[in-house]
Amino acid sequence: MMKKISLRVLSFIGSVLLLVSSVGVIPVKAADDVITIRVCNWEEYIDEGGWGEDEVIDLESGDIFGDAALYEEFEDWYYENYGQKVIVEYSCFGTNEELYNMLTLGDEFDLVCPSEYMIMKLLAEDRLVPFTEDFFDEDNELNYYYRNVSPFIREVFETNEINGEYWDGYAACYMWGVVGFLYNPEVLSEEDVSTWKLLVNEDYKCQITIKDNVRDSYFATLGAIKGDMFLSEEFLNDPDYHERLEKEMNDTSPETIAQALEFLQKVKENAYSFETDSGKADMVTGKVYSNLQWSGDAVYAMDQADEEDFELDFAVPEECTNLWFDGWVMLKDGIDGNADKQRACQAFVNFLSRPDNAVRNMYYIGYTSSIAGGTDGDQIFEYVDWCYSAEEDEEDTIEYDLGYFFDDTLYGEDEGEGTGEYVLTVPEEQIRRQLFAQYPPREVTDRSAIMRYFDGDANARINQMWINVRCYNIKKINAAGWAAIIVAVVLIIASTAWMKIKKSRNRSIRRPLRPQ
Amino acid sequence: MKGMFQRKYLGIPYALYLLVFVVLPLIVIVTYAFTDAEGNPGVGNFLNFFRDPNTLGTLVYSLVIASVTTMVCLLIAYPTAYFLAMSSIRSKGAIIMLMIMPMWINFTLRITALKELLTMIEGNLALHPFMNSVIGMTYDFLPFMILPIYNQISRIDKSLLEAASDLGADSRQAFLRVLLPLSMPGVISGISMVFLPAMTNYVVLDMLYNSTYIMGSLIGSYFSAYDWHGGSTISLILLAMICIFTLLAGGDENEGTVRGGSVL
Repeated sequence: MMKKISLRVLSFIGSVLLLVSSVGVIPVKAADDVITIRVCNWEEYIDEGGWGEDEVIDLESGDIFGDAALYEEFEDWYYENYGQKVIVEYSCFGTNEELYNMLTLGDEFDLVCPSEYMIMKLLAEDRLVPFTEDFFDEDNELNYYYRNVSPFIREVFETNEINGEYWDGYAACYMWGVVGFLYNPEVLSEEDVSTWKLLVNEDYKCQITIKDNVRDSYFATLGAIKGDMFLSEEFLNDPDYHERLEKEMNDTSPETIAQALEFLQKVKENAYSFETDSGKADMVTGKVYSNLQWSGDAVYAMDQADEEDFELDFAVPEECTNLWFDGWVMLKDGIDGNADKQRACQAFVNFLSRPDNAVRNMYYIGYTSSIAGGTDGDQIFEYVDWCYSAEEDEEDTIEYDLGYFFDDTLYGEDEGEGTGEYVLTVPEEQIRRQLFAQYPPREVTDRSAIMRYFDGDANARINQMWINVRCYNIKKINAAGWAAIIVAVVLIIASTAWMKIKKSRNRSIRRPLRPQ
Repeated sequence: MKGMFQRKYLGIPYALYLLVFVVLPLIVIVTYAFTDAEGNPGVGNFLNFFRDPNTLGTLVYSLVIASVTTMVCLLIAYPTAYFLAMSSIRSKGAIIMLMIMPMWINFTLRITALKELLTMIEGNLALHPFMNSVIGMTYDFLPFMILPIYNQISRIDKSLLEAASDLGADSRQAFLRVLLPLSMPGVISGISMVFLPAMTNYVVLDMLYNSTYIMGSLIGSYFSAYDWHGGSTISLILLAMICIFTLLAGGDENEGTVRGGSVL
């Protein structure tokens, strides 16, 4: 018996060992020529492939079709072009704060895609690896990012800095957009949604949702409480209009925060709710009539509503809007000086920036790519045209100028009149709809400000303000409320005490009866 | 081989679990709660909590929501459990099964369904945030109240009730003086399974559009603002409340499950 068992045990151990060694040995052997890059992106923020056959985007320059997920296709593409095997470990995060906490708690990633303020925070904390010089080499035709990024985006990334480090050295813009109101045009007028004050408009009490996130809410609040100033002639005609706007929209002085607190408390009373991710669905199902929304999600919601034969529109308040970006950055902790890894990460960014892949992403997620497609042809503009341009017999059409985004000749040293090539003829309604949200016109980006990352004290003040808005202030409890609470507490204490007393009395009566 | 199954070794897996997932995190929480942002030890975090009308108000708001939810659950669960346990219908097992079944489905899914249902009934959910939160939590926690009470009542020896009526008690007296006291342990464990989770179950509030924080959301908001100290402090305060509650309630659990106080 004993022998049998030990034999079995031995053979079992043997087979386990064999298994372990076979599993263990192969990767060890292969590790020399296979690199793994760990990529962390927003949820549903990349084309995952698997398109239906009717979803082919048939542009004149060729069909575009999403077969497999882009991060899977990258592995083959990289091997073909760089002769090295790469494995992409792809994972997702839900909010910038969540990503930051993941990084702080020791999760290691090589390439992540946070928003501009988080990029600034990471950059200020010296946690990012700069791109190598050859990333900016326009002659290398694999450098799709630098060859094709929109001049508009490029200018923003070249002129914004933190602690003397310019964004473009460390971050490659992925998607961008503005913030505004998604609304139901049957209920709200264009005038209603033209101001951030809509949030406290009592005609729409309990009909509007706002983001459950301090930065977006704070921005909208500043837009509302400083709105009259922004719209004054004096402010609009100021030669330093843009600098002033940006300064005002990044105001974190205690007085302003106190005003914001007051405003947001009104919003809390007046709004339907602060939503985390139900905003789009609630608009489409008609639960609410307006929703503070990022432009990309607005496109998605409008598409969804169109499928249900239900119209939703998008508007950006007249006062100002928030210009935001999500961008790829490489992390020091992950890359750890490994040049092969860094090359693969940069190639990943370039692969996503190839115009046809940028189109796939835009089609799939509804957001707007930073890629304009300059050097490698006009596929992106062709796609926008394919999406929005009017039928030939359509009557109400307008000219929609996208030169600021696509036209290189408007920027740089040879700044000129522009080629005028990037003008679309679209149905009139598009100035309220998907096109407006996906590519807001120049006058909207002109009144936009970037909200920077707030450090130390300012951040603590804003977070505390937000918590105070959301908490229930004990001073709000009136006399009747206190009376009810006191009665309830007394009742609970009395009944507990009564039960205990009764029990101990019973025990003392019972004791003599019990046999010891 | 012989010593493998000695009792003391059987405890090892749980002891490991306890160490890694309970004791160590608790040490971290306590450390954070008793230090400030610069790492200096002190009780400043607690003072802040009890001085701030906002956090204090949130504590009261959570207590009120949890108490109301518990009361509503109790009012629904006790009669249900009572009739079920006392009745002689055959399909008792099936009915209990029907009551447990919702627990097999993830509660966020159930709340999503409830949201649509309430929207149909009320039209606009934002008009009654407090009531909706109580409904949502009741919907979520009711089985946790019914089951312990039902178990407790079914365990009561029915001959005790016969004895009571033999000795001249009418049915009201028999219920109040015999059955109710004997079922108390079930009620208490039901309350502790509803009251304490209800104080932190903020997902229900979020999903049903109540924008006011309760203790759970408050902890979350501190953590997402990277304020580990504030969040840990509130967690510790909650833990203290749980301990007090268990001490108050726990005294009855050891005895009296079979021989209740009123069996005389």
